[in-house]
Amino acid sequence: MSKRAKILPLALVPVLVLLGLYFKAYEKAAESSTKGPQQPILFSHKIHAGENQIPCEYCHSYVTKSPKPGIPSMQKCMGCHLQVAGRDVDYEYDGKKINIKQEIQKLKDYWDKKTPIAWTKVYYLPDHVHFNHKRHVLRGIECRTCHGDVENMDVVYRVPKLEMGWCIGCHEQNARNKEELTQLKDCLTCHY
Amino acid sequence: MQENKRGGIKRRDFLKIIGVVGTTAAVTGGCSSEPVEQIIPYVIPPEDIVPGIPKWYASTCLECPAGCGIVVKNREGRAIKIEGNPKNPVNSGSLCARGQAALQGLYNPDRIRSPLVKDSSGRFKPLDWDSAEKTLLEKLQSLRERGKGDRIVFISGNVSGTLERLIKEWLGAIGGGRHVVYETFAYEPLKQGNKIAFGMDKIPTYHVEKARFVLSFGADFLETWLSPVEYAKKFSLMHSYREKSMGKFVQIEPRLSLTGANADEWIAIKPGTEAFLALGIAHVIASEGWHSSGISKEEEDMLVALLSRFSPDRVSSITDVPSSTIKRLAEEFVKLGPSIAIGVGAANTSTIATQTVVAINILNYLVGNTKEIVNFGESLTISKASSFKDIVSLVDSMSKGEVELLFVHNTNPVFTLPEALGFKEALKNVPFVVSFSSFMDETTELASLILPDCTTLEKWGDYVPREGIYGLIQPAMEPVPLFNTKPIGDVILSLSKQLSGLEGLFPQQSFFEYLRDSWKAIHAEVAPNKDFETFWSESLQNGGVFREVASPEVRLSRDILRVDFSEPSFNGDGSLYLMVYPSSRYYDGRGANKPWLQELPDPITTGVWDSWVELHPDTAQKLGVKEGDFLLVESPYGKVEVQAFLYKGIRPDTVAIPIGLGHESYGRYAEKIGVNPIKVLPVAYDDLSGGLAWLSTRVKISKTGRWARFVKTQQTTSQAGRGIAQAVGLEEIRRGLVKREEHHEPDMYKPHDHKHRWGMSIDLSKCVGCGACVTACYAENNVAFVGKEQVARGRHMSWIRIERFFEEESGFEARFIPMLCQHCDNAPCEPVCPVYATYHNYEGLNVMVYNRCVGTRYCSNNCTYKVRRFNWFTYKWPEPLNWQLNPDVTVRTKGVMEKCTFCSQRIIYAKDRAKDEGRFPRDGEITPACAQTCPTKAIVFGDLKDPESEVSRLSKDERGYHVLEEINTKPSITYLKKVKWDRV
Repeated sequence: MSKRAKILPLALVPVLVLLGLYFKAYEKAAESSTKGPQQPILFSHKIHAGENQIPCEYCHSYVTKSPKPGIPSMQKCMGCHLQVAGRDVDYEYDGKKINIKQEIQKLKDYWDKKTPIAWTKVYYLPDHVHFNHKRHVLRGIECRTCHGDVENMDVVYRVPKLEMGWCIGCHEQNARNKEELTQLKDCLTCHY
Repeated sequence: MQENKRGGIKRRDFLKIIGVVGTTAAVTGGCSSEPVEQIIPYVIPPEDIVPGIPKWYASTCLECPAGCGIVVKNREGRAIKIEGNPKNPVNSGSLCARGQAALQGLYNPDRIRSPLVKDSSGRFKPLDWDSAEKTLLEKLQSLRERGKGDRIVFISGNVSGTLERLIKEWLGAIGGGRHVVYETFAYEPLKQGNKIAFGMDKIPTYHVEKARFVLSFGADFLETWLSPVEYAKKFSLMHSYREKSMGKFVQIEPRLSLTGANADEWIAIKPGTEAFLALGIAHVIASEGWHSSGISKEEEDMLVALLSRFSPDRVSSITDVPSSTIKRLAEEFVKLGPSIAIGVGAANTSTIATQTVVAINILNYLVGNTKEIVNFGESLTISKASSFKDIVSLVDSMSKGEVELLFVHNTNPVFTLPEALGFKEALKNVPFVVSFSSFMDETTELASLILPDCTTLEKWGDYVPREGIYGLIQPAMEPVPLFNTKPIGDVILSLSKQLSGLEGLFPQQSFFEYLRDSWKAIHAEVAPNKDFETFWSESLQNGGVFREVASPEVRLSRDILRVDFSEPSFNGDGSLYLMVYPSSRYYDGRGANKPWLQELPDPITTGVWDSWVELHPDTAQKLGVKEGDFLLVESPYGKVEVQAFLYKGIRPDTVAIPIGLGHESYGRYAEKIGVNPIKVLPVAYDDLSGGLAWLSTRVKISKTGRWARFVKTQQTTSQAGRGIAQAVGLEEIRRGLVKREEHHEPDMYKPHDHKHRWGMSIDLSKCVGCGACVTACYAENNVAFVGKEQVARGRHMSWIRIERFFEEESGFEARFIPMLCQHCDNAPCEPVCPVYATYHNYEGLNVMVYNRCVGTRYCSNNCTYKVRRFNWFTYKWPEPLNWQLNPDVTVRTKGVMEKCTFCSQRIIYAKDRAKDEGRFPRDGEITPACAQTCPTKAIVFGDLKDPESEVSRLSKDERGYHVLEEINTKPSITYLKKVKWDRV
């Protein structure tokens, strides 16, 4: 074997170590960040759910009926915003100043063009995980248990890391008896 | 380490480097950020759609003329699964593989994407609907101005119902053009034979379920004949073992079809001579005085005189059936009754097929079951299809240039008519051909203008398969937006509004309005006391209106004396009779563009993605042919080159080729696959009906010298004494000699303690091997189709398969057994998984966790039943076939093992619904896709720990057994042994 071929694997070691450190750091950063994704409209959950105290279920209306909570249709947004044009004032939105009225105007523009707003998903689950909102909500699990203090978030960001251990931890704590514990820890509960 | 002579690196070093690089990839891969997904809201939410909750729309299947009722599952606006409509009496909730596969027509990537017009260079050019309609309008206008409106012909498949009315009214208004209803299998001999014998120019409904003895003269009623799902259900009611008794079924045909394979006795009659056997049996009945007392003296005299010519000895010499068999069949026909004789199937349509039907009718009449069992009130609308003679005369007019404009809808005559008829050449003499097909098939390819219609799942309509059944068709989703299609009814209405002089012909703005108006007549007839809106919405919910029609009394007509009962004639001087038979998977070829059907193994050969010619091993030996040899099958009218399949279920003087493949044009899944045997057929007629005689050719067979492995999913026909598909004799079980065998092997582990345990029972006396369950499973569970090459490597992905075995100890008997994951309590796959990806759950399911699986395949190696499937690749569903995927089931990727889950998503869904009511699912509330679609209800699913459940009861049945029980896997599936009539 040539010398070069012998050295090649060795040369890769520091590269690997660096890569590893980089991703470890990246992971940590991702965990501690409170930044949610940039959305097409600077929608504030804080104004809706916090200041105006609109119940979550008003907009996410399938949450007690379906595994999927649903997001409000444009028609539903306009149901209020035909009346509510928004204050023409600066608003401190996630550290930057925005004009509420202008943001609501963006919604109206979408509505006039009858185009939906393509929101970026915050709570991503891979296809092999099936989460049923209805079952959790009907069991009395509060939205904030998983989604955090949405009333105080302008930009919604992911609170838990959505790792399986976190799911299981909650299932273990909340199981009412041994039988239910078995059921709640069964892989098939979520993976099928 | 040694220096490599060529200066490169050695394998071991190479692997080391690859190992390091691989780790790098794994490190980066593990940390890569997750995909960014978007959520798109509705602008205006549809009223009845809740995301995550399916909606079901009742409709009617048009994959064949049977017209079964269906309910289509819609999730978030997409049709994802079809099931039978339990309210429709035709199919009572079941559906065949072709019906299941209609979704792959809807989402077929090769659908025509917009209207197309052929330019002067002969190439198709897309255009928008307005210009397309304008192009056609100019033609229509010019024809009308020249007073040649009667030179328009509209050829379509069976469109009984409102669309037919619209076509007729429209053609009439334009100038009196013809509407020709062309069905490949129109069963004209049946219609004509009934006309001659009973004065009924109709195809009745046969109530096989009321009989105890069925004698079928080549009717393939479990595959394509008349209404296969309906007949499978009726047959099962007649034939399955219940309370110490079962009916008997004898199939008479030269080639053992799937239907024949389910018979208690197969009589390999000389091709085309069924009429004589029927008359021979009738002869014995009449001469023994066994006939019904309902026959008048006059009729008796007439029959005795007629039948005197058909002594068993003479019949035996014509038919190759021993006279002792003829006498025995006559005796059984009378003594095991009520009996029924049925026939003939398309494959057995000889030049004397009508005579056969007359003979069958005589036989039925003799035993007096014509009213109870043969219901002419419930006559099929396919009886009203045009005769083959009309097609011949159409070809004649076309060649003479008498047709100026031809419309083609839902039929593909260039493919389904014998080449010798010359339809294709005649079509070239038609100046303008308009096709409404959504697929580029052989006929559409020759069109001048294509106005692609929506598929049945996307539009409004209705269909009347038989008197009393008015099936409604409602869109199960919006038309697939990738394809710019328009429903044919709307095109006709829109054209009329633009034709000068016809503007006011149809006041309706859409075909939907026209349909509703047309249903006002049905409303007035069926439910005049209800208001129309109530009637309409109820009909939509039920999938139509279904009524029973009384059976009229029929008497035997003296016209039977005019039938001379001559022997059939055959074309060609070859030594082998050629049977071309309709495929249970492709029907007349229309199913060939659906990969599910291509990958569904043929029930007899288990071949996939190709054609074959079946020949008897003795014949093969004489010709020096082995399986896989490419043979040239030659008639005076053409030849095809096709692989040999050796089959003991065919007479040595006969060869058979299935119909349906050999498309030159029909999309990527059909083109250049297999051969079309219709090509080699002559234009021969059944003498009394004028229908096409499918069985009328003798062929020569020669070897080409080429060989390739014949691709099939089951390599053996023998059970090798393992008792996989078991059977017991009827007499044995009647006498109580059948005892449940109990195996008590020592266990290493303590048994599982289940509160509920999901299990299944499969009754082999009901399973007919049709394969509907297999396709239903593909649809429900996102099972990938892999293509011929991968199947040849044993990489077929089906979670449930039909194993078929031939028992040759006493005669030739076929057995079918659905094989799927047995959800063993003592599963061999579980302890060998190094990563706990497969395990036993608390409800007795053997669970496969895809995301844990690392692909060692140990589980599959250790599986006793070979039911685990490995993803060798990330299989793709080309857009928009992927729209069909079930969102409740993970789509598996490369490197992952998969297998039957007992449709765990359905279990979870039912448990979720039940939990809302604070209970556990009731028995019968959960039905896996296979059990749901099974036409004979052979599969029953439920909780084995519930002593009241049906599955518990069946699992304790005396016929129950576990496959390979001695291995002590403790399966959750109990098979019930098939029951056989004792051999005579």
